[in-house]
Amino acid sequence: MSERIAGYASAAYALASAEGELDRVEQELFAVARAVETSPELRDALTNPALPTDRKESIVRDVVGAHASRVTVNLVSMFVAQGRGGDLPEIASALTEARAASAGKAVAEVRSAVELDEATIARLAAALERKTGRAVEVKAIVDPSVLGGIVTRVGDTVIDGSVARRLRSLRETLQTR
Amino acid sequence: MIDLAQTTILAAEESGDGGLDLLLPATPELIAGIIAFALVFFFVRLWAMPAINESLENRQKAIGGQMEEAEKAKVDAERLRADYEAQLAEAQAEKTRIFDAARGEADTVKSDLIAKAEAQAAEILDKARADAASEKARVMADAQREVANLTVDLAEKVVGSSLDRQTQLGLVERYIAELER
Repeated sequence: MSERIAGYASAAYALASAEGELDRVEQELFAVARAVETSPELRDALTNPALPTDRKESIVRDVVGAHASRVTVNLVSMFVAQGRGGDLPEIASALTEARAASAGKAVAEVRSAVELDEATIARLAAALERKTGRAVEVKAIVDPSVLGGIVTRVGDTVIDGSVARRLRSLRETLQTR
Repeated sequence: MIDLAQTTILAAEESGDGGLDLLLPATPELIAGIIAFALVFFFVRLWAMPAINESLENRQKAIGGQMEEAEKAKVDAERLRADYEAQLAEAQAEKTRIFDAARGEADTVKSDLIAKAEAQAAEILDKARADAASEKARVMADAQREVANLTVDLAEKVVGSSLDRQTQLGLVERYIAELER
């Protein structure tokens, strides 16, 4: 994580905490980051240098405003105005990690091809806590590129049990055999 | 002929003067002849002989000089011939030496050129073989990579469309079970 990303995440953490909406802002920012990550159109709009800043802020209000708090909308607008629209996923992850760290937890980013129910997430969290020896907060992300199975990232550790990884391995084997 | 001499002798004998008288001149005539011969001999000996002797001597000297010159010319000619033959032999030897040297040099140059050409040919051949092998390996690797990509791309499409929710949840369950072990 770059110092700049950490700085933005720290600012968001301070602002959300000051407003008493840290949990909500963190969840909303995480959702916005996933939307930017999975929607090329939204990402292009927010990162296009030819598009005026007020137009980008208008898009943020249109897309995010109806579903998120004022603090979240203002934070996203500020990031986009500073030309950091493309960094939203990293800033959101940093904010999530900062909030989890303040609660003495590690963030487990879990990517799966299908949406996981609460019970599955709870079992996954318990298994990860046993595996890592730390309290874990699971952030579940639906990512079709996984194809099947799950990819979990806790800090720098990645536990990849996805079909995509198996196909990558198969591709490498076929290419080098 | 014998018959004629015999006939003459017989005729002289028959004349009674004796045979020898028929051949000998008369005494006065003989004396006059002797004196005349002596005079002629004296004058010839006095004047003609020295001139004849001098002429003969000169002639002999001239012939001797000519013979010496001829001998000298012969010697010179022999020397020239020997020199010429020596030069000819030397030229022949030089020619042979030059020919041998040139032949040797030509053989060396030829051998060098052949060796160089063979080395270059071998190098070109090796490089061509190496290039061909490299190109073949590259093409094979490209083909293998392409086949692998096509295979896995197809597999991704098949897997993506064939994994229903139940199968997906089964994969998730297996993942959690692996973590819990």
